[in-house]
Amino acid sequence: MDYLDFIDTIQSLADGVLFGATYALLGIGFTLIFGVMHKLNLSFAAASIGAAYASLLILAGVKAPPVLVFLMAAGCGGVIGGLVYLIGFRFIPLANPLATLMSTVGLLLLIDEIIVHTTAGVPLSYPALFSDVIIRVGPFNLRGDLMFVFMLGCLCMVLLLLLLYRTRLGLATRAMSQQPVAAELCGISTMRVNILTFVITGVVGGIAGAMIGAAIGMLSPLLSLPLTVKGLIVTVIGGLGSIPGAIIAGLLVGGLENLFQYWRGVSERDLYIMLLLFVFLVFRPGGLFAPAAGRD
Amino acid sequence: MDFYFGLIQIIGVHTLLGLSAYCVLQTGQVSLAQAGFFAIGAYVAAMLTVLAQWPLVPALLLAGIVSGAMACAVGFPALRVKGLMLVVATVAFGEAVRLFFFNFNYQLERGELYIGPHGGEGFRQIRYFPEHGWSTLEVALFIWVVVVLAMAALWWMDRSRAGAVLRAVGEDEFAAQSSGINVTAVKVSAMTVGGVIAGVGGGIFAHYTTHIEHIQFGVVLATFAIAYPILGGLSNVFGTLLAVIFIQGFLIEGLRFMGDWRNLLFGGLIVLAMNVRPRGLIDAGTIAALKRVVLRSKEKAGA
Repeated sequence: MDYLDFIDTIQSLADGVLFGATYALLGIGFTLIFGVMHKLNLSFAAASIGAAYASLLILAGVKAPPVLVFLMAAGCGGVIGGLVYLIGFRFIPLANPLATLMSTVGLLLLIDEIIVHTTAGVPLSYPALFSDVIIRVGPFNLRGDLMFVFMLGCLCMVLLLLLLYRTRLGLATRAMSQQPVAAELCGISTMRVNILTFVITGVVGGIAGAMIGAAIGMLSPLLSLPLTVKGLIVTVIGGLGSIPGAIIAGLLVGGLENLFQYWRGVSERDLYIMLLLFVFLVFRPGGLFAPAAGRD
Repeated sequence: MDFYFGLIQIIGVHTLLGLSAYCVLQTGQVSLAQAGFFAIGAYVAAMLTVLAQWPLVPALLLAGIVSGAMACAVGFPALRVKGLMLVVATVAFGEAVRLFFFNFNYQLERGELYIGPHGGEGFRQIRYFPEHGWSTLEVALFIWVVVVLAMAALWWMDRSRAGAVLRAVGEDEFAAQSSGINVTAVKVSAMTVGGVIAGVGGGIFAHYTTHIEHIQFGVVLATFAIAYPILGGLSNVFGTLLAVIFIQGFLIEGLRFMGDWRNLLFGGLIVLAMNVRPRGLIDAGTIAALKRVVLRSKEKAGA
């Protein structure tokens, strides 16, 4: 491998890791909901894209600065998260995991179709921040917009970890995920914790959706299915219910994906990510940070 | 009239797909790999009839066997994990199969034409039915013979000891294990049976559409596969059939007059159905109620 090849390899790895921050946020969303409710919310990635769309459409009339669009995406994400809980989980008996799985699939299709219906299926361009800044480190270029996305992702993760480990709500959430019955006996309201978890993951998802829009430069309803698959893969590689795992797995998947794309072309890229997942399932089914086997 | 025969064909093939997921769901496992087995069956059967010039029935049988073997091979590593992990593992398998066919090139020269699967362009000219002069009605009848056979086999299995074992594993794995059931063997065999049915279904699908490409076998098809039995209810094979008719016949074809709004209603009605009937359209309660009605009318006739 000559020098230029080496530079390009490292460059694509770096770009991938920076973009991987969005996968990490999606993975965190899946993991949090699964941790609290032991249920899979398949509509999460679609809801994230939906929140990014909503922010664009609401601020379409005014010439809003990109920062405001990002904040609006987070807010819309929270609202959509709450709605997803009410429609897809609230009135369905929790003892039946298949029913909520199916209702979230229905919501995924519904959100996609609402997007297609309101925008006639045309991709919208999304504002990026710092897209004209390029930082040069030796022979490498770091794109300003990807750097910003990465920083924002890291900030979200730190805030989320603080929320989970330093606040009463975080304590309640963690109690709920460990022992739901005991938590309820201690006076924690299941429904309140559940709905707050959905709102918080919705906010995270909205930010992730805005970050994806900013990094790719546009939004399309076609994004939601591939992102759902990627988010699930990140969740499993990182270990279910583990937030640090989801972060590291997100960056890993983002980096490797770009690397495979550089080596083998875009049509074979995802094939190797799936194989990577299978390697993990066979040799380390608990993921990177498998939690120690609990008492129950 | 051909339109209705076409619809009947679609319903038949999707019923096979739903039944393959039904088998696996009976053991409490959610598998999104059925679209992958469906794709394998479609490509294998089509290659056999088009490239090797086999007759249809042996080609379908071999397609079923290949898909079943694949399902069995995937079942062992995949069924080590359960719940969410299995969902993700099977999604990944299905996508890997799809991407394999996306990159799969195997063409033979026949006269002027190149025939065979050609990467992203897909596999054209699967002309077994037109070449052998089958009418739409005959194709529809053939499909339904296969569907009825599969449903009868599963119905019989449900009522036999095997069905009880499957349900035992699905209801409570630990209890099943402690009563001496080999859980892994049961799950892998359910997966294999599901793979065979999906493979045969895929083979038929390839022949009536005459053109297959990778994008048809994506996550959406896999979700449909599990949607049928879950929506229809897992207590009975007829639930799956009812759900296929509900989705393909009513939601997709019946609502066409609504234009754009149909797609919006589609997701919404699935959510609504799960809210109203979380255990499926035909659940154990429905069957009990039906039995009561039948018994009462019999008593009246007797008295």
